Amino acid sequence: MEKSDIINVSKNRGEKGNYVKPILKGLQFTMGNFFKKPVTIQYPDQKTVRSQRWRGLHKLNVDEKGELKCVACGLCAAVCPSQAITILAREDEGGTRHPEKFEVNELRCIFCGFCQDACPKSAISLTKIYEYVNYNREDFVFDISILKTTGEKWNS
Amino acid sequence: MSESKTVTLNMGPHHPATHGVLRVVLELDGETIVNATPVIGYLHRGIEKICESRTYQQILPLTDRLDYSAASANNLGYCVAVEKLLGIEVPKRAQYLRVIMAEFARIMGHHLWLGTHALDIGAMTVIFYAFRDREMIMAMNEEIAGYRLTPSFIRIGGVAYEATDDFIAKVRKFVAWFPKALEGYHQLLTDNKIWTTRTMNIGKISAEEAINHGLTGPSLRGSGVAYDVRKAFPYSSYGDFDFKIPIGENGDVYDRYLVRMEEFKQSIAIIAQAIENLPSGPVMTDNPLVASPSQPEVQTDISALIRRFMVNAKGTPVPSGELYSAVEGAKGELGFYLVGDGSEQPYRLKIRSSCFYLASALPRLLVGHMVADAIAIIGSLDVVLGEIDR
Amino acid sequence: MTDLLIIPIIKMLVIFGVCLFFVAYTTWIERKALGHFQLRYGPMRVGYHGLLQPLADAVKNFFKEEVVPDNADRAVFLMAPVISISFAVMLLAVIPFGPAMTIFGKRIDLYLANPSIGILFILGLATIGSYGTILGGWSSGNKYGYMGGLRASAMIISYELSLAFAVLSIIMVTGSFSLVDMVAAQQHFWDWNIFREPVAFLVFMISGIAELNRTPFDMPEAESELCCGYNIEYSSMKFSLFFLAEYTHLFVFASLVTTLFLGGWHGPVLPGLVWFFVKTFAVIFVCIWIRATIPRLRYDKVMKLEWKFLLPVALANVIATGVVVALLG
Repeated sequence: MEKSDIINVSKNRGEKGNYVKPILKGLQFTMGNFFKKPVTIQYPDQKTVRSQRWRGLHKLNVDEKGELKCVACGLCAAVCPSQAITILAREDEGGTRHPEKFEVNELRCIFCGFCQDACPKSAISLTKIYEYVNYNREDFVFDISILKTTGEKWNS
Repeated sequence: MSESKTVTLNMGPHHPATHGVLRVVLELDGETIVNATPVIGYLHRGIEKICESRTYQQILPLTDRLDYSAASANNLGYCVAVEKLLGIEVPKRAQYLRVIMAEFARIMGHHLWLGTHALDIGAMTVIFYAFRDREMIMAMNEEIAGYRLTPSFIRIGGVAYEATDDFIAKVRKFVAWFPKALEGYHQLLTDNKIWTTRTMNIGKISAEEAINHGLTGPSLRGSGVAYDVRKAFPYSSYGDFDFKIPIGENGDVYDRYLVRMEEFKQSIAIIAQAIENLPSGPVMTDNPLVASPSQPEVQTDISALIRRFMVNAKGTPVPSGELYSAVEGAKGELGFYLVGDGSEQPYRLKIRSSCFYLASALPRLLVGHMVADAIAIIGSLDVVLGEIDR
Repeated sequence: MTDLLIIPIIKMLVIFGVCLFFVAYTTWIERKALGHFQLRYGPMRVGYHGLLQPLADAVKNFFKEEVVPDNADRAVFLMAPVISISFAVMLLAVIPFGPAMTIFGKRIDLYLANPSIGILFILGLATIGSYGTILGGWSSGNKYGYMGGLRASAMIISYELSLAFAVLSIIMVTGSFSLVDMVAAQQHFWDWNIFREPVAFLVFMISGIAELNRTPFDMPEAESELCCGYNIEYSSMKFSLFFLAEYTHLFVFASLVTTLFLGGWHGPVLPGLVWFFVKTFAVIFVCIWIRATIPRLRYDKVMKLEWKFLLPVALANVIATGVVVALLG
């Protein structure tokens, strides 16, 4: 490596030996911050705004007719690194595929967003919901009925 | 009963200053340490083993969880390794975005280090100033990737999404603001005599010994060895940027502190250059084995649809072969030793975690010091247990 | 009868109540001020800006489980916090809070007792009170607690010296051991001992903060080294008592600084009582400010600072004061 690429940071360190001045400088600095407005927010009352790309709880999208867009191809289940998605497919008389069972285990999920990126039908997407609580772990295994309306429970 | 002159003190795994779940068994004579044994494994999740049963794409979010304080740097290390084995080239714009994310990760990691290190030594205010600035980076992570701590933004073949205008504006704002904040950290600590007496000549390690212990990163540079993977083996366009490698002379806690404080500055300089010279173009390679086709393409083109299924469900077949590829993570050289067997899953993925080497140097560094110094030394090495235990 | 029994009892209750109220709010001020130094709000939830937080803390601690470790020396373990708090509260007895008042035609002095050796009383009891810390750390059967106790005893032996010498120079200036006399001697602003004895003031501040086990000298309870040190095994009300004792000591220390150096209750316009508390809380605020800024010294450096710097300085100051007093008077 060339000499010009290197900085020696400990060159003048022997000269640092004053107790009083740096401490006074530090005291001045903290006092300066004392009168600034705190940067924290009062969380449950105030909330920060989530970005458009936020990866929160899952949601199954529906088309104009109110039917699930999902065709149960199983791509999201296959791409999921933590194997949180379970799908069972069913074919109706017309030969169209629908999900018989679509379960997302939100406790296994690591919110990488791969399912959303993989889905060819834009049927599964991640909402902006990041605060969710339940009394039982089982309640976090979301089935179709919950996934269709994700967020109604926690947004209300 | 045999008479023992020393006291055994269990420091950790739930001690406030052992940064997670590091456990160090100290043998004390009074307050002086005569023997120290680090015990690890409390955060073992078997990531390397899990990797063997996941496709290359699926491994990516797992790498976020190695050094979770600087997640993007791990993503970059893994992606560079896989891309080397695949032999694909990443678009320039994606490379620059990767550099920005990795340098932000370094700053985030150093923020966590600075805050906890100062808190361990008793300066309790620094951590809040550091986290104020860390929060800004988190907000940028959220803006571009959708997640704050583990963005998983860097993907094999490029990056996940295009940068938004908002992101670029935020980066510019941060680059302008951060030197001022850095000045504040310096004002609280650098010249403070209490800080220097607590850190100078503590935990000294010579250059030769540091190399023998396998130390890398700021801890090695503090001993005066100018080794940085970014300069030594440039990857992801690091050769394009003008930055300097800070080194120390004495290899003590204070020098490691100074090195990291300088790295803040250098990282922000790299980010400033990258954001100003951000090239235009795609952010993902067009290699059909790697790139998942875009949504409009999938809707119209059946071959694109099939390709999406292949890439996402089956994965990318990686040629057989093995390689070791390293990047400069926030804590040191983060290496991925990858063995491919022609399938979509790695045969073996060994992670060379810099923190493991740092922790294994602890017995050498701690002996002869006092308990209070042990805290300073552990803090100055900046070990993250997620990376040690994997 | 009234003068001998009833008034002292009422005074006792009032002083005890008011001071404990202020002590409880010292914790609130500490948390609030630290918060603002660190760009956050501090307590905000209980009451307006967390004003009822001390109350909530007390209730919480009261209902927590009492844990006595198997290894602990049970009797000593239970006694230690009691020693700590009782001697801390006793200190309040001799502090003069304000000038004499007339209520219902009776002259009431705003202190419980004015022994002729007031300052020695405080130095003595404060030292005994620190036995609580030492015994608590030693008896809890925990190595961290044990080390905290050891450090506490070393600190107290050392810093008591410079503290006493700093006080000695004030005694020489005033010519009395009584705290009331000391306040009386600082009637005018330019008479304040901080101007007459600046060196003693600095020594007193530094050794006082060390005696209080506060950052940068919080050796016995260094959070990040000994995970709270001597009170590591204490829970519930026993912990509360330690906590309360610590803040009572802080309050007493601040009022001592006020009394000895800052002219006690003297001040223009406002009544004496108000001036006393304003000054006291200003001193407490400075302690918090220091805590928010400065890193912790290492244990051996703390000892070095005392024996190689503070004690010689305090001694020299005593000699210099003696010479000046002898020459002038």
